[in-house]
Amino acid sequence: MESIPPLYSLSTEVRYAPPWQDLSIIGIAGSSGSGKSSVAMEIVKSLDLPWVVILVMDSFYKTLTSEQHHKAHANEYDFDCPESIDFDVLVETLRDLKKGKKANIPIYSFSEHQRQPDTTTLYSPHVIILEGILALHDPRIVEMLDVKIFVEADMDVCLGRRVLRDVRERGRDIEGIIKQWFDFVKPSYTRFVEPQRPISDIIIPRGIENKTAIDMVVKHIQRKLQEKSDNHTEALRNLGLIAAEGKLPPNVHVLPSTPQFIGMNTILQNPETEQEDYIFYFDRLVSILIEKALDMTSYVSANVETPQGNTYLGLHPKGTVSAVVILRGGSCMETALKRSIPDCITGRVLIQTNESNDEPELHYLKLPSQIEEHATVILMDSQMSSGGAALMAVRVLIDHGVEQGSIVFVTCTAGERGLKRLTAVYPKINVIVGRIEEEGEPRWIEKRYFGC
Amino acid sequence: MASKSETGPSPAQGVGPLYRPDGEKPTATVSKEVSYENVHVLPQTPQLIALLTMIRDKRTSRADFIFYSNRIIRLLVEEGLNHLPVVEQSITTPVGRSYLGVKFEGKICGVSIMRAGEAMEQGLRDCCRSVRIGKILIQRDEETCMPKLFYDKLPTDIADRWVLLLDPMFATGGSATLAVETLIERGVPEHRILFLNLIASPSGVAEFAEKFPKLRVVTSFIDQGLDEKKYIIPGLGDFGDRYYSM
Repeated sequence: MESIPPLYSLSTEVRYAPPWQDLSIIGIAGSSGSGKSSVAMEIVKSLDLPWVVILVMDSFYKTLTSEQHHKAHANEYDFDCPESIDFDVLVETLRDLKKGKKANIPIYSFSEHQRQPDTTTLYSPHVIILEGILALHDPRIVEMLDVKIFVEADMDVCLGRRVLRDVRERGRDIEGIIKQWFDFVKPSYTRFVEPQRPISDIIIPRGIENKTAIDMVVKHIQRKLQEKSDNHTEALRNLGLIAAEGKLPPNVHVLPSTPQFIGMNTILQNPETEQEDYIFYFDRLVSILIEKALDMTSYVSANVETPQGNTYLGLHPKGTVSAVVILRGGSCMETALKRSIPDCITGRVLIQTNESNDEPELHYLKLPSQIEEHATVILMDSQMSSGGAALMAVRVLIDHGVEQGSIVFVTCTAGERGLKRLTAVYPKINVIVGRIEEEGEPRWIEKRYFGC
Repeated sequence: MASKSETGPSPAQGVGPLYRPDGEKPTATVSKEVSYENVHVLPQTPQLIALLTMIRDKRTSRADFIFYSNRIIRLLVEEGLNHLPVVEQSITTPVGRSYLGVKFEGKICGVSIMRAGEAMEQGLRDCCRSVRIGKILIQRDEETCMPKLFYDKLPTDIADRWVLLLDPMFATGGSATLAVETLIERGVPEHRILFLNLIASPSGVAEFAEKFPKLRVVTSFIDQGLDEKKYIIPGLGDFGDRYYSM
């Protein structure tokens, strides 16, 4: 028997919740041909915002067996009953997205009646519009919905629309369409679709033409999003307060103030420095930061033989080192990065701070595949003030499976409060900082480097 | 004293950032230590050791050898430049704050000992764009077996400059000593010479440091010692051959 090792109390965890962790899901159900997708499109159009995604339930059809496949071709397979949809996968997908994780959306081929090996990645939406005849059918989904909409139209109108659509867009013959309608679509409406009506929040009769109803929904979503944005900004502010005290933690590495380093920083901050000189000294300074960042990566012992036949016990780098650039600031640092790793795999995220409320917003994202397997991911931004963009970028990496300990954030200058905030939330990342700047310094380095 | 450490093995230790526990640092051979105030060995970071491992490995291709040695040379130059004088300078930043910084003071020039030293010029230029570079050719005299100055071309105002003397391999230090003597003859004060070097032998660097106490040596690694042919062991072979032709 062994003695019990000392137990440590868990430290109070400081959390950062990006806006996509607080996802709103809107369900739109209704009969085939009732105008669900037009309503969904109209909502997206009226919202006029990034990160609003329409998720069509067709993607979650189950793969058919060859027998079912045969039936489908003879218009004898029921695509309108709940059994045809893989609700388990759909529920799991929505739960992942609700947690802020990335989700893989299946791609369904209507000609082959099966799921394709490829998937589409969906990440960080703020609003999802789930559209399908049975969007409000599964109680597990209903529970996750913020707004439940039921679109209604006269059944004759529905049939008419369906005939037109299937003939025009799916190249099917009228007889088959009519057969399917009376065998499956209509019975299914009475059995499964119509019963969703009473549990919906809003019923939109006459679909797309009903401007008043659509306007109501849009207003509701806008109000929700505003709350979310306020919460995010407020949370960032609170994180700042938490982190205001104390010294910088040991995983923040500020470069030593050597004469050369201060000299370069003086040239870089001097408005009289010529553009050409600015770029030269900036690249030189960042090269030093990058070499320092490479100290944080993993190495393994290795014996090598020299040309004279002696052995030397040295080190070899272990695993892939990749970089992720926070646009636009981080892209100033790529020249220097390529000096040390000419073929560095590089991803990009565009995070911009909304000037009206200081809220960072994720606009664009392109990460290398298998980034979660890389030994080190160097995250670069030329300047960090409040740390909002950095917090969001680290969160994006973690959501994509990158371990906290594999992330090295490199920045030329940073405010102390931002650094504390970042490391309070992510205590295992390493941070390389060129120079500590005063609080609240506006971004100017990227403007200087790019000349605009 | 120097001969005592000559044959001894080089220290091997866990190499890694300070914050990492010892068990998580991979073991590697690091530079020997010397106790001369004017000899500066670069911090033995895992990154530097990995770069040195690449250039020591005989399987490393010439392109990679050039690339990795340039990276070490840049680190050497950056460290070397820190020994140059600066003066305080106060500026107003683009966001209107005042910053008390420094300004580089004094003119510099590079002097490479041909031919291997010339391989370090690229790294020097990467850090100092328009630096003047002089050259010195020293070869072994067939009759006396002593190093002999064959050729030199140095900036005319070299006496007014700080000199970064470049030679990647420092074995017995014969050429480097003659090069320093040449510079002193041209009026360069000893304390304004910085000798930049990749790999040095413990005995060579000790003698050199004692002979020129005011000169500064910046090296990335002090190796185990010399073999009977006076080659540095474990070393990396002939630097010039590997950089220029092999």
